[in-house]
Amino acid sequence: MIAFANILVGGVFHAAVLFLVAAGLQLVFGVQKIINLACGSFYALGAYFGITFIGYATDAGVSAWLILPGLVVAGILLGFIGPPIERLLRTVYDRDESFQLLLTFALVLMFQDVFRFIWGSNPRSLDSAYLIYGTISGREFSVPVYNLLVIAAAIATAAGLGAFLQRTDFGRILRATAENRAMAEALGVDVRRVYAAVFTLGTVLGTTAGALVVPTAAASLDMAIEFVVEAFAVVVIGGLGSMRGAFAGALIVGLIRAYSLVLYPELEVLAIYIIVIAVLLIRPAGLFGRPAA
Amino acid sequence: MAISRRSLLKSAAAVGALSAPGAVFAPALAQREPVRIGILAPRSGIAAAPGENGIRATQWAVERFNAQGGIAGRKIELVIAEESTPKDTIERFSKLVQQDKVDCVQGIISTGVGLALGPVVEEARALTIYWDGTTQDGVDEKIPNPRYLFRSTDNECEAIMSSLLTIKHWKGKFATVAGINPDYSYGRNNMAAFAAMLKRFGIEHKVVTEQWPKVGTMDLTSHVAALKAAQPDLIFSSLLFADLPVFMKQAHAAGLTKDTKLVFPAAGWQHTLMKKEFTPEGMLFGHNTLYFANPNASPLAKEFVDWYEKTHKDYPEWEADRAYFAIASYKAAVEKASKAKNGSWPAQDDVIEAMAGLEVESLGGKGAWRKDHIAEQTFVQGFTTHNNKYDFVTLGTFETMYAADLQKPAGANFWDWIKTAQFKV
Repeated sequence: MIAFANILVGGVFHAAVLFLVAAGLQLVFGVQKIINLACGSFYALGAYFGITFIGYATDAGVSAWLILPGLVVAGILLGFIGPPIERLLRTVYDRDESFQLLLTFALVLMFQDVFRFIWGSNPRSLDSAYLIYGTISGREFSVPVYNLLVIAAAIATAAGLGAFLQRTDFGRILRATAENRAMAEALGVDVRRVYAAVFTLGTVLGTTAGALVVPTAAASLDMAIEFVVEAFAVVVIGGLGSMRGAFAGALIVGLIRAYSLVLYPELEVLAIYIIVIAVLLIRPAGLFGRPAA
Repeated sequence: MAISRRSLLKSAAAVGALSAPGAVFAPALAQREPVRIGILAPRSGIAAAPGENGIRATQWAVERFNAQGGIAGRKIELVIAEESTPKDTIERFSKLVQQDKVDCVQGIISTGVGLALGPVVEEARALTIYWDGTTQDGVDEKIPNPRYLFRSTDNECEAIMSSLLTIKHWKGKFATVAGINPDYSYGRNNMAAFAAMLKRFGIEHKVVTEQWPKVGTMDLTSHVAALKAAQPDLIFSSLLFADLPVFMKQAHAAGLTKDTKLVFPAAGWQHTLMKKEFTPEGMLFGHNTLYFANPNASPLAKEFVDWYEKTHKDYPEWEADRAYFAIASYKAAVEKASKAKNGSWPAQDDVIEAMAGLEVESLGGKGAWRKDHIAEQTFVQGFTTHNNKYDFVTLGTFETMYAADLQKPAGANFWDWIKTAQFKV
């Protein structure tokens, strides 16, 4: 039972980070109909910048207790890169999906070189300052409070996004634009502004995820591509464009990975893709996706 | 003018002799030119840090050798290229040999690249000295009896040594074993070698879980949870890239490092990142062929470590030693061959002959080249301590072992050798 709890928390922690990145991917696809491969690069950017930001904050004498809010701020600050990149993507909105994939993949490669230029080739990490929040432990159970806070942050983001999309005027405008762009435009919605806002929000979700995970892990040049593959598994399982799908997909991927590592470690990756294939065969639109008309 | 068959054959033979490797007339013409050494080392990605260690040590050695007159009177010039994928590295190797006309190629850390490059080295007939990357799988098939290639010590030496130390210090103190090793030939072979050694010495144990994270996986919380669930008495891990400090951090946070015996034969690759705050004392920790804080180190090694610290604000790890060993071996071989030829510059074949059986003092201690072109070097492993001036762990008690006691003899099969070898525990 205790082992079960350890594995559960490990799986949910991974799912929480996956959800944040996949939510950005879903949001952008849901409204802008762009499959943004660069979401992995935003995640990596958040991780690298998080390390730099915390480094400066520590040098400035900021308390280690503020590491979590500091990283959230770092992630949000990076939102400024959203609008210019969205401006670039406008060139392919009305073109074939393959152009969108090529352009966003080009962005992944360009970001990788930017990271190499700014932060160097070696992986970067923070020390174990995140353990300042302590550890909840008892008998064989032990989990860092920081990990629980990241899980809580992901749940709060999911709830906040849900409320934002369902209960605010801007959320309704977003949903209307996602539903029928031409009609929304005809009704006076400034679609360009909506797209810029959505893309920036998607960017911030990715950068914040990267910033939040880096104290427990490390930032490396390969992390963008590594993570985007897993994020796509989440999207396929949950359904492209669905927020609830991102939540469910992330949980499924996180937990399957965690439990397969215990039951049969060789299946760590295979188990996830068995689920992906099963979903594609049984419910091609994903668990929460809408089948194409 | 009519050309007879005989004169045509004579001309062809003359052209052949001039273009043969180590051509007869080339050395005399080359005496005034610097010796060009090509370096192939990773400069980006997960192996960038060891690659940089090796390059720095090579540059230090070149500066030092050049100040002493170079190699047999010729100054040394480095041509540095990147080791990346097997395909790209082979292309760069070809450029070094054909275009840059280097006299010797040194470097290579990845086993995958090393295996792919081996046959190319033989075909190009270009003297090449590997720093590292000789995991057993595939070596005998892809590079049997190389002539132009000199390979590093077997990668499994560190697993053999840590097995012997585990048995020596912890025999009877553990019953369950878990492994977390990188999912490629190096990690798989190290874990298998550890298990085979325990079996060889009749150590009763049960492997409760084996985790195989992909190289570079940075979220290891689920792997840590799986290890914790298995409740092992001992964890064996040959993690060695940037994922190692991440694992230690996450394992420490999960309370996994408290009562578990830890055997980490390759941890020295990341030694400065193994901070005291999450790396426990008493962990079996391998520094491979260079322990920077070895109190018994030679004046040469101490001078190098001081220079490294002063110049790079860092402390070197074993790839620096491997790189130094490679270039010092080449220098010693050329000078030995040159002496045998009364001071004239030797042909490549003479250098190869001189290398086999050569003994060289490296940064980490004694080293030598076997007749089958495999290196023998001195290994260091011991138990971690926090009692030092650094913010990372060093070794409290440690032992040194020579590769002759850790690696299979020429021509033997590694797994069969483990079953019958006479080890000194």
